[in-house]
Amino acid sequence: MASKRQFSLKEPVDFVIVGSGSAGGILAKELSTAGFDVVVLEQGPYRHANDFVHDELAVVFRDELIGGGTKASGQTFRDDENKVAQSPMRQPARYAQNVGGASVHFTANFWRFREIDFKERSVLGAISGTNFADWPITYDELEPYYTKVDWEIGVSGAPGPNDAFRSKPFPLPPMPVKSSGVLMERGAKKLGLNVQVEPHAILSQPFNGRPACINCGYCMFFGCEVGAKSSTLAAMIPLAEASGNCEIRADSAVFRIATDKRGRASEVFYYDKDGMERSQKAKAVVVSANGAETARLLLMSASEQYPDGLANSSGFVGRNLMFNAHSAAQGVFTEQLNDYKGVQVTRIIHDFYESDPARGFYGGGGLDARPLWSATPILHALLGMPPDVPPWGAAFKDEMAHNFTRQMCLVGSTTSLALDRNNITLDPTNTDKWGRPSIRVTYRDHDDDLSMASFLQDRAMELFDAAGAQKTWRRPVLPSDGGEHLLGTCRMGDDPSSSVVNRDHRSHDIKNLFICDGSSFVTSGRGQPTMTIMALAFRAADRIKAAVAANAI
Amino acid sequence: MKNKKHWSRRGFLQSAGTLASVNALGIGAPALAAISAAANEANAANAAFVALGNDDAADFAAIAARIIPTTDTPGATEAGVIHFIDQAFAVEMRDAMDFALQGLQVINARLDGRFADLDTETQDALLRNIEQGELFGLLRSMTIFGFFSMSKYGGNANHIGWDLIGFEGHHGPWQYPFGYYDADVHGGNDNGQ
Repeated sequence: MASKRQFSLKEPVDFVIVGSGSAGGILAKELSTAGFDVVVLEQGPYRHANDFVHDELAVVFRDELIGGGTKASGQTFRDDENKVAQSPMRQPARYAQNVGGASVHFTANFWRFREIDFKERSVLGAISGTNFADWPITYDELEPYYTKVDWEIGVSGAPGPNDAFRSKPFPLPPMPVKSSGVLMERGAKKLGLNVQVEPHAILSQPFNGRPACINCGYCMFFGCEVGAKSSTLAAMIPLAEASGNCEIRADSAVFRIATDKRGRASEVFYYDKDGMERSQKAKAVVVSANGAETARLLLMSASEQYPDGLANSSGFVGRNLMFNAHSAAQGVFTEQLNDYKGVQVTRIIHDFYESDPARGFYGGGGLDARPLWSATPILHALLGMPPDVPPWGAAFKDEMAHNFTRQMCLVGSTTSLALDRNNITLDPTNTDKWGRPSIRVTYRDHDDDLSMASFLQDRAMELFDAAGAQKTWRRPVLPSDGGEHLLGTCRMGDDPSSSVVNRDHRSHDIKNLFICDGSSFVTSGRGQPTMTIMALAFRAADRIKAAVAANAI
Repeated sequence: MKNKKHWSRRGFLQSAGTLASVNALGIGAPALAAISAAANEANAANAAFVALGNDDAADFAAIAARIIPTTDTPGATEAGVIHFIDQAFAVEMRDAMDFALQGLQVINARLDGRFADLDTETQDALLRNIEQGELFGLLRSMTIFGFFSMSKYGGNANHIGWDLIGFEGHHGPWQYPFGYYDADVHGGNDNGQ
């Protein structure tokens, strides 16, 4: 299905938006329905709900949704800037490439930040060797936009005991609890911990003309076949197109933003489906390509006028990459959970959200109960087996057969500290399938992040014991070798010498260049960033509209 | 180019062999079988092989049958895993096939007959000797993929792999409750029925 509206490449449109994901899809809808002409350039194809299949091999292992993986992207990884980055099997920065971006294949866990996330530096003080900082905005400023996300894209949930203030209730009741959630509650009750409902960007009931979740279980890594997952593909893009002011130009891989003599963004160059070079003129440009792609594009757009890349006078483009650290513990119970059915997570614990000096390190996080490896069979066989079971033979087979329906996981998700050494740069040798310099990821978690992940894993083991698990195990917490959460690489701030965009997502250096996605984050939050990316996008759209009204672009 | 080098057969096989040790939340992993979705339904027990000769196929099938053996329940043999392997080798894993065939030759060269002709105890002893190696890692991964991926890729015949572990992925959508522990909450029976 082609977009209805088609714009001329030569006539400048009001806005070109690079990327159609969690942020780009919302900005497209907000700006086009406000009457602006918008062209969205999306490097991936235009997939629709009925294109999404239950094919674990293709989606999880052949990287079909993320564009073919390392083989196609040439991405490289190293854990130290003094090393030569290598191209690993598993792509280091992982995100779906299609209309709707990663909001199409994310698990749809949907936490708001809390007040503390925006001002933690002031409360806790500096952390030496890091770029730990406050956000230039507060929770109160973002709260109306969190609520807007709830009600515009469709969020199911119920408030928890220590949640931040919300001005309106959830629009939809929570997804019903699964066995993994019941067992988490059982353990938490004995330990005196508070369990709360997991909010989802998934519809528990029909909403805005979209159907409710059918509990097929293919949320994590997969696209939703009925449109119940509140991706921008399902919730925003149709409204943008219906406005008559928005063209979603899929299969358009942007490789340069050009500036005019005055130094303003003027034209966006991309490769079309056939690899032909094209360009779209624009009055203003919004980059919402994700924390890895956005940084790469700005760096790739270096010119005589901007030798270090666009919007990079601070040198902060690409720096402070944050993945959120993770840990996991596994448990098997005597009876069947069948946790592969339905959404991944139904219950979480946020008692360890706040950083606690008594722990001896900075950090906070959440625990969630989910099938994880026992959601699909191949992952179960490859990653979900206990370490004491031989990797092949009758015992291996018996263990798989017994455990699959009886197994669950407690996952810890944590803060990541912003560090100079963790960054996105252009790989000096590799190129992607379009010929663009490959994304090079340099990353090693801060020790405190790993300590927090281990702390949560300890709590997870205690929870399993308290819940009466028959068998439990865990593997050591290891430094990240990649991530799906791509945060911090064009951070927001008031000081142009230590941030890339201002509090309105306008780049400090170029007046008509806006940047809004995970790259805007100043701190990482506790592990589920998409809700905040979407709230920032709604807010950015309002700030951009206000700037236009004030004739200030 | 670094990228190409990494995607050499050797790098590929090493990664496939160590797959199971990747970090807890690390997935993605190998576009192991960049197998053509065009692969067919040729998983009938006696279907002809596309890439492999019959003797080599018999040996690989025998190895797969030790990785997921036939016990009181069906295993790799009944699931037609060898047809998944054959079809994977026919398409984008042709390089890996050369490596696997060379490895198989090395094994068979030390035997009087062929691997497939050994009794299962001898087969197991032999495989224990090579279980840390690249060849075994590759064949283990391919056996798992062939046992549990969609039947259209050649294996998992009649959903034997899914049935073994109680995964009803070909059914659904589901109604609550799904299992034993949420049954009380939802007032239903166990097992999601």
